[in-house]
Amino acid sequence: MAQSFASVSSAVRRSPQMPDHNFRYWIIAPSVFLLLLIGLFPLIYAFVVSFQQITMTDYDTSFAGLVNYQALFSDQRLWESILHTIVITVIALPVELILGLALAYLFLEKMYGKQIFISLIVLPTVISPIVSGATWRLLFDQRYGPINQVLSWIAGREVVMLWTIEPILVYPAILICEIWQWTPFMFLILLAALSNVDKSLTEAAELDGAGFWRIFLKIELPAIWPVMAIAILIRGVDLFRIFDMVWALTGGGPGTYTETISIYTYVQGFRQFETSYTAAIAFLIVALMSFVVTWAIRRMGLAK
Amino acid sequence: MSDVKISGLHKHFGAVHVLKGIDLEIPTGEFTVLVGPSGCGKSTLLRTIAGLEEVEQGEITISGQRMNDVRPRDRNIAMVFQNYALYPYLNVFENIAFGLRARKMPESEIKERVTSAAEMLGITGLLERFPRQLSGGQRQRVAIGRAIVRKAQLFLFDEPLSNLDAQLRDEMRGEIKKLHQTIDVTMIYVTHDQIEAMTLADRIVLMREGRIEQVGAPLDLYERPATHFVAGFLGSPKINFVHGEVLISGSEQVLRLVDGETISLPAIASTWPKNIILGIRPQYLGLASESRSPDDVRFSRIIDLIQPTGSRTYITVKLGGRDLVAEIESTSRGNVGDVLDLSFNRLNALFFDPATGRAL
Amino acid sequence: MVILGRYLLALSVLIFFVFPIYWLFAISFKTPEEIFHFPPVWYPQKIQFANYWVLFKDGDATSVWNSFILAGSSTIIAMILGTICAYSLVRFKTGGENFAVWIISQRLMPPIAIIFPIFLLYVFFGWVDSYGGLILLYTAFNLPYVIWMMRGYIEDIPIELEESALVDGCSRWAVLWKVVFPMARAGLFATAVFTFVFAWNEFIFALVLSRTEVTTYTVQVTHYFGGQSNFWAKIAAMSVLGTVPVFITVATLQRFLVRGISMGAVKG
Repeated sequence: MAQSFASVSSAVRRSPQMPDHNFRYWIIAPSVFLLLLIGLFPLIYAFVVSFQQITMTDYDTSFAGLVNYQALFSDQRLWESILHTIVITVIALPVELILGLALAYLFLEKMYGKQIFISLIVLPTVISPIVSGATWRLLFDQRYGPINQVLSWIAGREVVMLWTIEPILVYPAILICEIWQWTPFMFLILLAALSNVDKSLTEAAELDGAGFWRIFLKIELPAIWPVMAIAILIRGVDLFRIFDMVWALTGGGPGTYTETISIYTYVQGFRQFETSYTAAIAFLIVALMSFVVTWAIRRMGLAK
Repeated sequence: MSDVKISGLHKHFGAVHVLKGIDLEIPTGEFTVLVGPSGCGKSTLLRTIAGLEEVEQGEITISGQRMNDVRPRDRNIAMVFQNYALYPYLNVFENIAFGLRARKMPESEIKERVTSAAEMLGITGLLERFPRQLSGGQRQRVAIGRAIVRKAQLFLFDEPLSNLDAQLRDEMRGEIKKLHQTIDVTMIYVTHDQIEAMTLADRIVLMREGRIEQVGAPLDLYERPATHFVAGFLGSPKINFVHGEVLISGSEQVLRLVDGETISLPAIASTWPKNIILGIRPQYLGLASESRSPDDVRFSRIIDLIQPTGSRTYITVKLGGRDLVAEIESTSRGNVGDVLDLSFNRLNALFFDPATGRAL
Repeated sequence: MVILGRYLLALSVLIFFVFPIYWLFAISFKTPEEIFHFPPVWYPQKIQFANYWVLFKDGDATSVWNSFILAGSSTIIAMILGTICAYSLVRFKTGGENFAVWIISQRLMPPIAIIFPIFLLYVFFGWVDSYGGLILLYTAFNLPYVIWMMRGYIEDIPIELEESALVDGCSRWAVLWKVVFPMARAGLFATAVFTFVFAWNEFIFALVLSRTEVTTYTVQVTHYFGGQSNFWAKIAAMSVLGTVPVFITVATLQRFLVRGISMGAVKG
């Protein structure tokens, strides 16, 4: 005992002050530094640049006031790209949600080989959106792709549909690809959420004579809502900033017909080199996103 | 060897004042039990001694060394947690050796210490197993083994038995007491169970709402509780409390209970407040005997409830509108509804001031 | 009948979701004659690797290696930095709830909004088309996800294990290495796999910040697009090279898949 006492006192002398007080800050410091560097700094920088008039040919850093922001309002291509983005979002999101929910019910009950089915159905969700866009580009080919071939069989005559070229077909093409890739995401999350619903609640309701819709609306939907809300939020945000898949499938074309807000920003910044104007667009996007996301988080009761 | 001194210790969790000025000395080698109802601050006090909570105000010294700013690992203490805190990814041997490895002890010494601790606890055959393969009692032994091998100057136990079933709890309680006799170091033990406190402690520190209510040997606290609260907390079945009024007629002082029964009181009662609480433990309240001593207080009541336990039988009657429990021989016969003559010796009774809760 | 109906339904669903992937793989093994045959050929007559061989011969396959280096390095760094940061958030409540929300809001930021100023910054420092530049960016971009996920996994660790280690002689750092990391190892693994896949599949940053040196496989795929005359075989083979590793890694974490993609909303 005397010996162990001696070892204590030497340890105390080595570190008279608890050195742990700042530990909590040391371990967040690198992450915070990186997030500020990559997350906050660019925004501040973009904010400054958006009040200047820098283009590829003219490095004009004088203060130009709200010129770039005023230009936003008269930029028809910008508002069209926002409209395109909204169209894709408001169609794809509900369809993915409803299809995902339907699939979740299909695979909710016991079924032979269920796990294999699920594992395979989930595959589209993990592949790169670039690859999925490229894949559907091949599938949609008017001559060598299998889709027109299948349609020809059904129609009984040769069908030639220019999926990625004709304006009327290009949105369905994008939506099919989008829904194909992300319905499994909704499916997987909703299946897990539904499996976690307390069985005794639904069974009790069944005994009381409640039908499928009543059980769904009164018991299951409230139970899975928190998870569903987060899934909608994640997908909603992803859809609003959609870039890769459309880029690979249509490249924004024909013309600017499927240009989303992200694609338009890219074109302005890296094809036209409208530096200051792009910064203003970037700011508009962040403002829109923050507004919508904050609203969604409040609305869906996720703030807690 | 070590003694622990705590002075003027305060602690807040947010707006809650958890420790409200604790002053305590724990002598070397003693088994001290911190006991009290949940939320009384006993665990916080223990964790502050361990260094897991920071000292806000006040001072803690161990063996004369100020510990306020010393890290837990430099305090030379060992601690056993309620949920055992075994590392599921290490086997029993490595769990016990964890603290030794953290201190970079040579392999041969680790092996020697772990082996001898395992022998002491009878878990030699389990060293290769993983925690999930152990029963609750075995896990508890491993947790204690991990503390023993450290050969620390101070052992802290935070409700170590409350996750065990009743039978194992009794068994482990005995083993912990034996352990203290064997290794003879200072131990501080937190529990909310007054039976554990009574059976294990050399000294009990009874806490209530962030303050120390009373400190002393278990039987001292039992026989001479400083407050109404201490009397009520220790002892099973609980002490009976009866409210009464002190009446002074000439040179004699009597206590008139709520329903009119009177009890003569010692002379000092003249300085007492008018209303007081009488406390009488069930063991001192029994059947009235033939031979009547002058200090006996007798009364008759109807039996409300009979609870035999085998060795003793507990009878519940009403006095002053409250339940009163008497402990009688289990050989006695009687039925609910019978009238029973009961008596207690007034020298065994305790008196409290209802306003302050203090013993009189 | 009901059961048979369910199976038929399940099977058609399966075909819808799996056929496009099958088609991609099939093309990668086809000869040019089979690819450009009308009507389409449903399966290659003979499995042949010429399409892949070309990628390796031309050096295009290096882009897969680039993706691996970028995703692998950024994952390791993000896991270490993110996990210790998450630990601070959980155990010390550093920064409180607002800080945690700020971190996750970084995850929801549209990449296009930050990539432009970052590009200007990188041009200034000469980091464009360098491994370091993209690794830094991927690390920062995945940090919020790592912090958010590891926060959940660390919350699941009983605090007594750490306290016991502190009393038993561990420093704060030793508690991290000896208790927190082993206790959270399943979560660490699952989160690392997802982080890897996110970086592996990333496109915009790579498109903007790579030229020739650090082209990733996603950027390489788009190099084969050419209006009406796509390099079909190369698109398919390169896509398969980029997709197979993802399938393999994701297959290793069935149990954590839902928790990983739902950002912790569903705990398995």
